[in-house]
Amino acid sequence: MMAQLRGISLGIAAEVLRSFAIAVGIVVLTFFLLRMIPGDVVDVIGLEGALTYEQQANLRAEMGLTRSWGEQFWLWLGMIAGGDFGLSSRFAIPVTQLIGAVLGSTITLGLSALTIGICLGIGLPVLAAIYPRSAFVWLAEAITIWSITVPTFSTGIAAVVVFAVWLGMIPAIGNLSAPALILGIDIAGSIAKILREDMKEIESADFIRTARAKGLSRTRIVLAHILPNAMTVTLALVGLIFSNVLTGAITMEIVFGRPGIGTLALQAIKGRDYPLVQTIIIWLGIAVIIANLVADIAQRFVDPRIRLR
Amino acid sequence: MRALYPPGSDPDGRAFVLDESEDRPVAGPTRRFRFPHLRLGTWLGVVIMGAALAIACVGPWISIHDPNDFSSTVNAAPSDIHWLGTDDLGQDVFARLIVGTRLSLVLGTVAALVALLAGTLAALFGMASGRIGNLLVFGIVDLIRALPGVLFALALVVAIEPGTTSVVLALGLAFAPDFARITRASYLQEAARPYVAAAFVFGASPVRIALVHILPNITGALVTQFAIILPRCIVLEAVLSFLGLGVSPEYATWGRMIASASSYTEEAPHVLLAPIVALSVLTFAFAMIGDELRRRFDPARRRIMT
Repeated sequence: MMAQLRGISLGIAAEVLRSFAIAVGIVVLTFFLLRMIPGDVVDVIGLEGALTYEQQANLRAEMGLTRSWGEQFWLWLGMIAGGDFGLSSRFAIPVTQLIGAVLGSTITLGLSALTIGICLGIGLPVLAAIYPRSAFVWLAEAITIWSITVPTFSTGIAAVVVFAVWLGMIPAIGNLSAPALILGIDIAGSIAKILREDMKEIESADFIRTARAKGLSRTRIVLAHILPNAMTVTLALVGLIFSNVLTGAITMEIVFGRPGIGTLALQAIKGRDYPLVQTIIIWLGIAVIIANLVADIAQRFVDPRIRLR
Repeated sequence: MRALYPPGSDPDGRAFVLDESEDRPVAGPTRRFRFPHLRLGTWLGVVIMGAALAIACVGPWISIHDPNDFSSTVNAAPSDIHWLGTDDLGQDVFARLIVGTRLSLVLGTVAALVALLAGTLAALFGMASGRIGNLLVFGIVDLIRALPGVLFALALVVAIEPGTTSVVLALGLAFAPDFARITRASYLQEAARPYVAAAFVFGASPVRIALVHILPNITGALVTQFAIILPRCIVLEAVLSFLGLGVSPEYATWGRMIASASSYTEEAPHVLLAPIVALSVLTFAFAMIGDELRRRFDPARRRIMT
């Protein structure tokens, strides 16, 4: 037991270290990737506000854009180490405040989609396994095929045209239910696909035959024997699902014109607002890393086989 | 039940199995060509793919209109002159759709090839070069995978200067980690096999083992992943164009069409729906073919491809 726990904690320590290194990598990569973009925020402001070259030069010096990249990087690193992510170059407001204003909207969308995704993605395969001759089987297959064949981007735009413009059922801008549903079904399909394949595979295992011979009910076999075993594999993909939700939410926000992290990031990239883009990409990246880390740790505790690796 | 299916196929059509009662066919002139027994979805996928390829090849000669020609009627409804109507600049939607098929397919294929080459070679190098190379390569892989794909590609396109090359590079880099992951999983499976040990005993270098011995044995997994990634490249290209950062405007890609039509959803929804339907049909075809390939090359569902 002690040896096992030590194995787990060693594995976790290595994983934490690795995640930290990747997070640092993201910070470095984001910074220099954005500095490679030709033109800076002063060019953009200058175009809009018709500033003279002198005014532009002054503005650049004030923002610290005249320093070398390396100098800027160290300054900025010191700042974020102290929790200060700087001011947005476009709006002169702390970026954390800008992000905070739209974060709730993105989280609402992401969580709604995730809830739909988990309920349908786990519920349908389970029901399909309990009632193998019912419409649930068909439904589970349908959402699987739907999610691998139709990209959310095109469904989203089609939904805007059909439901918002033609039928006028939903507002074309800022609507929550349509993007959440579209993204949710997509997520549900990707979960259902993996879960169903695993459940079918476990169904033919010896211990299920034993359970059946003991006289357990079908519901009990599925819920207590098949599902927990199938879930260990699905658990490994939690990080992937999380990043899919994030990317999907960004796409949906852009398609549906919903204020959120996605629209903010797009605006920031186009306006060369380095501090804002950096912070958004870093936060999102670190969120995904943490999700992956949590999934990995959970898996180590749940599935003893993983410790052997 | 069994008799309904031709011998040599299993009822689910999952894998090609030889009928045990029949002797293994010896090469000879008597063996007739038989259509492979495929599922309905796969047939649909193959037929759509074939049609798309044909359109991409003979494209410009199908439509009587020039895709970049302007007519006086703007946002016109479908008619017998303009089969799918005209867009906001009075250009023929059908002609643009057909030209877009070629561009989207070529762009997607090239981008997926870039991803395949970059991802696979990096992963093979990482696997062959021991602990440090492995850590480095897969650290970068995890790094890119942690970033949201849309934003990463977006930032990359802007950083390299928007244009065809940067779009292809950005898509390729964004999807390279997927190939790297598959390569690693397949590599680990193959590395446990006796032929790798044999090669090692014969004194083959790690690089030689990776490139000459293992690579040919994991092509199945790579081809399957290619079929999965290609449509994603096409969709992401469409998203980038939609955001105004795709290839330059004179190329009529589907994403460009979606982008310019999305400002006129009320006046001319058909202009917007045409490229979307085309995009969805093509993704459907690829998904079906990809699924079939996965069944063939990964029949035991070792789940290294998702």
